[in-house]
Amino acid sequence: MSRRFLSVDPPDLNLWPTAKGLAGLWREQWRLVTLGLVCAFAMTGLSLAIPIVIRHAIDDAIAPTSGHRAALWPYLAVVLVLALLRFCINFVRRYATARTGIRVEARMRELLYQAYLRYPRAFYDRHATGQVVSRATNDLYPIRYFIGWGMTQGIQSLMMIVGIAIVLFLVNVKLAALALVAMPFVAVLAFTFGRKVMPISREVQQLKANVTEAADEAVVGIEMVQAFGREDDVQARFGEKAEAVRDGVLRQARIEAAFLPGLLFLPTLSIGAVVYFGGRDVIGGSLTYGQFFLFYQLLLQLVWPLEALGWILSLAQRATASASRSFAWLQGIESIPEPTHPTSLPTGPVGVRFDDVHFSYGTGSEVLSGVQLEIGAGEVIAVCGPTGAGKTSLLNLLPRFYDPTDGRVLIGGVDARDLPLEELRASVAIVTQRPILFSIPLRDNLTAARPDAPWDEVVAACEAAGVAHFAAELPEGYDTLIGERGVNLSGGQRQRVALARALVAGARVVVLDDPMSAVDTQTERHLVENLRPALAGRTVLIATQRLSTVEVADRAVVLDDGVIVESGTPDELLARGGLFTRLFGEEVSAAA
Amino acid sequence: MRVTALAVLGVCSAAAPVTALVIVKDAIDHGMRAHDKTRLGLDVIAYLAVNGLAWILQTTLVRGLARLGQDVVLGLRQDLFDHLTTLSLRYFSQQKAGWIIARLTSDVDALSDVLSQGLTTLVVNTLTLLAAIVGLFVLDWRLGLVALVILPPTLVLTRWFQVKSHAAFLRVRETISAMTAQIAESVSGMAVIQAFNRERAFLAEFDKANDANRQTNTYAQYLNSLFFPAIELLGVVAMVAMLWAGGRMLSHGSLTIGTLVSSVFVLNLVFQPLQELSDLYGQVQSAGAAMEKITTVLDTEPEIHDEPGARRAARIDGDLRIDHVSFAYGRDPVLHAIDIHVRAGNCLALVGESGGGKSTTAKLVGRFYDPDDGAIRVDGHDLRALELRSYRRQLGVVLQDPFLFAGTIADNIRFAHPEATDDQVADVARAVGVDRIARRFESGLLHEVREGGAGLSAGERQLISIARALLADPRILIFDEATSNIDRPTEILIEQALDRLLRGRTSIIIAHRLATVRRADEILVMEHGRITQRGTFDALLAAEGPFRRLASQLKGADQALQVSDATLPVTGSRERSSASVASSEPE
Repeated sequence: MSRRFLSVDPPDLNLWPTAKGLAGLWREQWRLVTLGLVCAFAMTGLSLAIPIVIRHAIDDAIAPTSGHRAALWPYLAVVLVLALLRFCINFVRRYATARTGIRVEARMRELLYQAYLRYPRAFYDRHATGQVVSRATNDLYPIRYFIGWGMTQGIQSLMMIVGIAIVLFLVNVKLAALALVAMPFVAVLAFTFGRKVMPISREVQQLKANVTEAADEAVVGIEMVQAFGREDDVQARFGEKAEAVRDGVLRQARIEAAFLPGLLFLPTLSIGAVVYFGGRDVIGGSLTYGQFFLFYQLLLQLVWPLEALGWILSLAQRATASASRSFAWLQGIESIPEPTHPTSLPTGPVGVRFDDVHFSYGTGSEVLSGVQLEIGAGEVIAVCGPTGAGKTSLLNLLPRFYDPTDGRVLIGGVDARDLPLEELRASVAIVTQRPILFSIPLRDNLTAARPDAPWDEVVAACEAAGVAHFAAELPEGYDTLIGERGVNLSGGQRQRVALARALVAGARVVVLDDPMSAVDTQTERHLVENLRPALAGRTVLIATQRLSTVEVADRAVVLDDGVIVESGTPDELLARGGLFTRLFGEEVSAAA
Repeated sequence: MRVTALAVLGVCSAAAPVTALVIVKDAIDHGMRAHDKTRLGLDVIAYLAVNGLAWILQTTLVRGLARLGQDVVLGLRQDLFDHLTTLSLRYFSQQKAGWIIARLTSDVDALSDVLSQGLTTLVVNTLTLLAAIVGLFVLDWRLGLVALVILPPTLVLTRWFQVKSHAAFLRVRETISAMTAQIAESVSGMAVIQAFNRERAFLAEFDKANDANRQTNTYAQYLNSLFFPAIELLGVVAMVAMLWAGGRMLSHGSLTIGTLVSSVFVLNLVFQPLQELSDLYGQVQSAGAAMEKITTVLDTEPEIHDEPGARRAARIDGDLRIDHVSFAYGRDPVLHAIDIHVRAGNCLALVGESGGGKSTTAKLVGRFYDPDDGAIRVDGHDLRALELRSYRRQLGVVLQDPFLFAGTIADNIRFAHPEATDDQVADVARAVGVDRIARRFESGLLHEVREGGAGLSAGERQLISIARALLADPRILIFDEATSNIDRPTEILIEQALDRLLRGRTSIIIAHRLATVRRADEILVMEHGRITQRGTFDALLAAEGPFRRLASQLKGADQALQVSDATLPVTGSRERSSASVASSEPE
C-alpha cells in the first residue's frame, strides 16, 4: 500500500515560476517581439516629433513671434511625411504584437491539449469538463491580451511618458512641473478601476452562468414543470436569477460611472493649469503660442499611455493568475507512467489475471480489496454484483485507466504496467458504461479504434451488435453525422454503436461494462444470440445487471464489497442460493 | 420621462468638451493676446467648471443608461422565459433544447451588451461627434468646411472597416466555437480516446481547429491594425489641411490664433468618437440578429391554453374517459379513434411495442396535447373546458427517465408541493424507500443532486420521482415504467413504492414489467395506434392474441422463461414472491 497517488490537482504556481514560463513562451516568438519593440520605439519618437514640428510651424509661419513669417508648406509637408511613416510603423507594431499574442495563445492551448491527452482518468474524475475546457479556451484570453497588447503597449507607454516629460521640461520647467502633478493619478485611477471591476465582471459571468443553468433545467425538465403545473415556481426561480444578473451588471456600471468620467476629468485639471499659468507666461512673453500648443497637445497625448498603464497592470494580474493555473497543470500533473523496461505481449490469445488486486480512488475506503481472478485465453466471464460492488473499478484497471494500489493485473502473463501503453490499449477494447460517441459520421465512430478496418469486418460487427438494423434507417446510412449537429441516437443505439466499435477494434481482450443496460429486452435477446460467435477467440469480461447477458458467459463471478464472493457457471450459481441468486433469482420466482 | 431626462443629460455632457474648447479659444484671444490676466483666470475657472459639470453629468448618464438598458433586458428575459413555460411539448420536441436555451442566454446577453456598454458608447460618442462638428462651425465656419473635406474618406473607411471586421468577427466566433466544441468533446470522451489509442488523430483534429482559430484571429487583428492607424493618419491630414487654410486666413487677418488652435483641438473630438463607434457596429448587428430570433419565440402561440370560459377544476374524483380520440403529431395519425374508460381509483396498464401509441395516450391524458378528434373527459368534463393549471395540479407524472432538478433530494421531492414541511418530506421519503437511497450520502435527503441527477442510477431517480408524485397527492397518476436496467434491490423498492402510490388514485401505467401488468385492473394492448386487446391479466393470458407474445417479452418474464428451461425448482405463487422480496431487503 506504499504506492503514492498521482497528483491531479496541483496548487497554482507562484509568480516567479509563472513569469519564467510566460517568458519562455514569449521568447519563442522573439522575432515578432523584437519587431514590435523596435516599432514601438519609433512610434514614440514620431508621436513626439509631429507636435514639435507643428509647434514650430505655429511659431515660425502661422503666428510668428518675430516679424518674419516663414513659408508654412515645408512644415506641413514634414508633418504629412511623418504621419505617413507613423501610420506604417503603427500598423506593423500592432500587427506584429497582436500576432505574438495569438501565437502564444495557440501554443499554450496546444500544450494543454497535448497534456490532456496524456492525463490519467483520476484527473478527469477530479475536474469538471467545463473547467478543463475553459482552461484551454477562455482562461487563455488574458494571457493573449497581455502578451499581444499589454507588454508592448506598456513599454511604449513608459517610453511615451518619459519622452513627453522630457520634451515638456525642456520647453518650460515650471509649467511642466505644474502640468504633470495631476497625471500620475490617472494611472492610479485606471489601475484601481481595473482591480475593482474585475471581480465584479467575474461575478457577473457567474450570475449569467446561473441563468443558463436555470434556463437549461427548466427547458429540459419542462414536462415535469407542466405536468405538476409548477410554472409559477420556475418562473419565480428564473426571475430571481435574471434579476441577480441585472443587479450585477448595474453594480459594474456604478463602478464604471464612478471611475471612467473621472479618468476624463483628471487631465482637464492639468490642462486648466497649462491654460492659466501658460497663458500668463504667454502674456509675459516667456512662452510662445506654439509652445502653448505643444503643451496642450502633449498633455492630451499623455492621457492614454497613463490610462493604458493602469489597464495593463490589472491585465497583468489576470494574465499571471490564469497562467499560474495553466502552468500548474502543465508542470504538476503526471501522466500515467510508461514502463522503463517495456515488454511485449505474446502472440495468440491471451489470458487475464488479477493477482491480489487492491484499489482505492485516493479518497475514501478501498473499492477492491484483494481480488484474485484468473481468466483463461478465450474465456468469456461475467462480473456481477450489486451497485457499488466495484465492477467498473475492476474493469477499468485493464486498459490502465487506473493502476491498482496494490497487487498486479497481468495480461498474457505480463504486468499491464510493463507493457507500452499504446500496445496495451491496442490489445484491450473497452465499452464504457456510459457510451461515448463522437460528433462524426457513424462510419467513423465505428472505425475509431481501427481506422483501416476492412468494411466487411465493420459490417459483420454491426450485424452482431445490432447496429446494422437501425443504421439502414438513418437519413444517410453509415454516413449520418452523429451528435448535436446531426442525429441524436437513443441510449440503446449508442450502446450498440459502442459495442460494434469495440468489436471492430480487433483487440484480444474485450471489456464490456454493462454494455446493454439501455437496450430494450427484445433487442437484447437478439444481441445476446449474435454476440457469442462475434466474441469467439477473445478473452472477454462483461459486467452486467441482467441474467440474459450473464448467459453469454462461460463463467460468472460475483463481486461484493471489493472481493469475489462467488464463482461458477450461471446455472451453478443460481442453484447455490447465494448472492447471485439474490441478484437474479427473485425475478425468476416472482414471474414463474 | 426617464428617456427624455437621459437624452437631455446626453446632449449636455456631449456639449461640455466642445464648450470647454470654445472657452480655451476665448482664453487665447481675449486673455493671452489681449494681455488680460483677469479674463484668463475667469476663463480657466469656467473651463474647469464646465469639465466638472461634464464629469457629474456623465456619471449620472452612465448609471442611468445602464439602468434603462438592464431593465429592458430583464423584462425581456422574464417575458421570454414565462412565455416558454406556456408553450406546448410539441414545441419543445421540435426545437433542440440547446437552441431554446441560447435564446434565453446568449441572445439576451448580446442585447444586454449593446444596451449596457453599447448604449453609453453609442449615445455619448454620437452626440460628441455631432457636438464637435457643430463646434467647428461655431468657431469658424470656413475651418469647419475644411475639416468636412476629410469626413467623406473617413466615413468610407469606417464603413469599409465595419463591414470587413464584422465578417471577420463572425468567422472568429465560428472558429472559436468549433475549437471549443472539439476540446469539449475530447475532454468528455477522453476515456475512449485513450482506450483506443486515438490521441494522435484527435491531436491532428485539434491542431486544425486551433490553426483555423489562429488564422481568423490574425486576420481580424490585421484589419484592426490597419484601421486605427489609418483613422489616426486621416486625423493628421485633417489637421494639416486646417493649419494650411488657417495659416493663410491668419496672415490675411481674418482669423485669430485662438480660433485656429481651438479648432485643431476640437478635431480630436471628431476622430476619437469615430474609432469607438466603429467597434460598436458588430455588436449592434449581432444584437439585431439576436432580437430577431427572440421574436420568433415570443411570436409562437402556445398550443395548449385555457379556452375562454374554462372553469377551475375542483377536487377530481378520477373517472377518466377517452372518447373516440384520434391524434397525429404531424400528418400520420398515431391514435385511431380509441375508447378507454378508467373508473375512479382504478389502475390501467398499457402494453405494446414502442410506437404503438402508449406514451401519446398518456400525454393526452396529461393534456400536453389536445386530441384532433374526440374528447378526453375527467369526471364527465372535457379537459379543454377545465382550467389547465388547476387540472394539472391534480395530476401526477412519473417519467421513464425522470428529470431531477439541481438542489437537494428533498427539494426534488418537494417540487410539486413546495410548501411541504421537512417532516412531510421525510415521511414520504420513508414511505417509498427514498430514505434508503439517501442513506448512501453523508447529508442524507439534503444531498445535492447535480446536473439532472448525475450520481444516481435510473432506478434511484425514478424512486425519487415517485416520492415527488406521492407528496403532490395527485388524483390521476401517469406512470411510465423505466426500461433501463435497474438493480434488483432498487427494483424491489420501486415495486413497493408503487403499491403505496397507486392506492386510491386513478392511474395509467405504461408497463414494461410483468409484475406491474399483473397489478392493473385492466390491461390494454396497443398496436399501431389501436387497442387490439383488453381485459384482466388472467383473461388475457388465457386468450389467443397479441398479449401472450408480448407478455413473454416483458421484463421479469424474460428470466422466467429462461429459468423454466433450466432445471430450477419453480415456485409459482405470488405469496412466495412477496416473501422473498421481503427477505432480500438490505436489513
